[in-house]
Amino acid sequence: MSVTENFLLPSKKYKQRATISSIAAVIVLLACIYTSFNPFAFFSEFHFVVDLLKEMFPPNYHVIADNLSILSSILQTLSMAFLGTLYGCLIGLIFAFLAASNIMPVRFVSIAINLFLSLVRVIPALVIVLIFVIAVGPGAFAGMLTLVVSTIGTFGKLFREIIENSENQPGEAIYSVGASRLQVIKYSIIPQILPSLIANLLYAFDVNMRAAIGLGIFGGGGIGFEFQMAKSVLHYKDVTALISLIIILVFAVEKLSDYLRKKILGEGKLKSR
Amino acid sequence: MMLKGYSLKRYRKYLLPFIALLVVTEGASIVCHADFTSLWTGIVKGLEFITFMFPPDWSAFPEMIQPAFQSVLIAFLGSVFGTLLAIVFAVFASSNLVHPLIRNITRFLIGFERSLPEIIQLLLLIAAFGLGQMAGIIALALGCVGMLGKLIADAIEELDPVMLESISSVGANKMQIIVFGVLPQIIPNLISYALFRFEINIRLSVILGAVGAGGIGYQLDYSFGMLQYHKAFTAMIVIMVMIFATEHLSQLLRNKIKMEGALK
Repeated sequence: MSVTENFLLPSKKYKQRATISSIAAVIVLLACIYTSFNPFAFFSEFHFVVDLLKEMFPPNYHVIADNLSILSSILQTLSMAFLGTLYGCLIGLIFAFLAASNIMPVRFVSIAINLFLSLVRVIPALVIVLIFVIAVGPGAFAGMLTLVVSTIGTFGKLFREIIENSENQPGEAIYSVGASRLQVIKYSIIPQILPSLIANLLYAFDVNMRAAIGLGIFGGGGIGFEFQMAKSVLHYKDVTALISLIIILVFAVEKLSDYLRKKILGEGKLKSR
Repeated sequence: MMLKGYSLKRYRKYLLPFIALLVVTEGASIVCHADFTSLWTGIVKGLEFITFMFPPDWSAFPEMIQPAFQSVLIAFLGSVFGTLLAIVFAVFASSNLVHPLIRNITRFLIGFERSLPEIIQLLLLIAAFGLGQMAGIIALALGCVGMLGKLIADAIEELDPVMLESISSVGANKMQIIVFGVLPQIIPNLISYALFRFEINIRLSVILGAVGAGGIGYQLDYSFGMLQYHKAFTAMIVIMVMIFATEHLSQLLRNKIKMEGALK
């Protein structure tokens, strides 16, 4: 093949890219046709959104001031998130220690617990909350238990990875001078994982806070429940007020966890995630 | 003696935070009506309920395939359009491409979107567009903006300014800088973030179905509502397989991208 031909023809890389992007475009197009979804319908039917916004504004803040139940529901959501994080992370940490391959001598136990953790992670939260609503009745307690279970699943796995990624040498050094297995955990593993553990604990609270709001809609109590009630009776002005409350709540929790993280870990240690 | 090494003084500074933690926990338990004796009696009820669901109704399996496929497609389209939308927002939210004022406004919008839980956006969009897949796809796409927008914007801001300057010094305009300077550099990050978001969207699309956007979540909710627990269990198994498969697939792809990125 001569040099000029190479100049005239599109390069191999270009061809490859063109093929990949056209295949991707065709797949997206087929998926759009199958689900009869037209992305431009968002703009052509935008007047529905405008109608809804007209319905929603101005927000009716009296509903917050008049009803004490809404303030108590905020407290409920916060406590759900707090207890869900606390118990979930405690149990998750125990599971993580039992499942970590560098600590647990019995392979069978660690495999079984890993299997259990991944099973918990794939069960939809919808089903978990349903089971707990049947078990203890609808309300904040059912929501809290759901959060505990989902926190065990996600953060148990995360903690296990953190433990497995910790350095082996300090532990081996302690072990060689006659420390027991528990002493190795206490003096080698825990000091290593503590900073990232605390950072993840605060992150878990952040995540659970949002999840707690969502769970209220499926019978978990808290502010989500109030939102669902206001929406189902089509009081959209109340809905707007509740939404602004939720946004403030989420922002405040985010700032609080940032502040606590900085205070507990110190500026320098922030990057040791 | 074992106890010799432990003096009270050493642990005194932990005493106050510990008491505070106990008080907060107790208060939160009261607010939540957390009652662990009722949990033990309730657990029996819950387990009894789970036994109702056994064995799964395998004859309902063929009619679950199509809604499951639909759910996956909703999540897929939501992720694709959401990523495209997030790129636009990210470009306007990075300080090295636009004026700081525009950047701060866009960042505020992204943060605003992120602080509103997805399920609430979903319910509002369903209120606007009515039940159906369209509201679901749009909700998932908008949900991407908060998370992906921030991550991509952070990735753009961390880019090496030398690259962008060299392109603009030979006469590229803003659009050309973005297309030839920014996009090629962030694409590995972009794909792995988008895959991660796809995992989240699969889970969300199940919840979405339960509030009325169709798909496998609707089948699950409907079967529970009709007290067809065996059928609900089949739907649950399909959902679990779906989540498990996407989680592992995206992990695999992300690891591969990470490896290739490292090789370059």
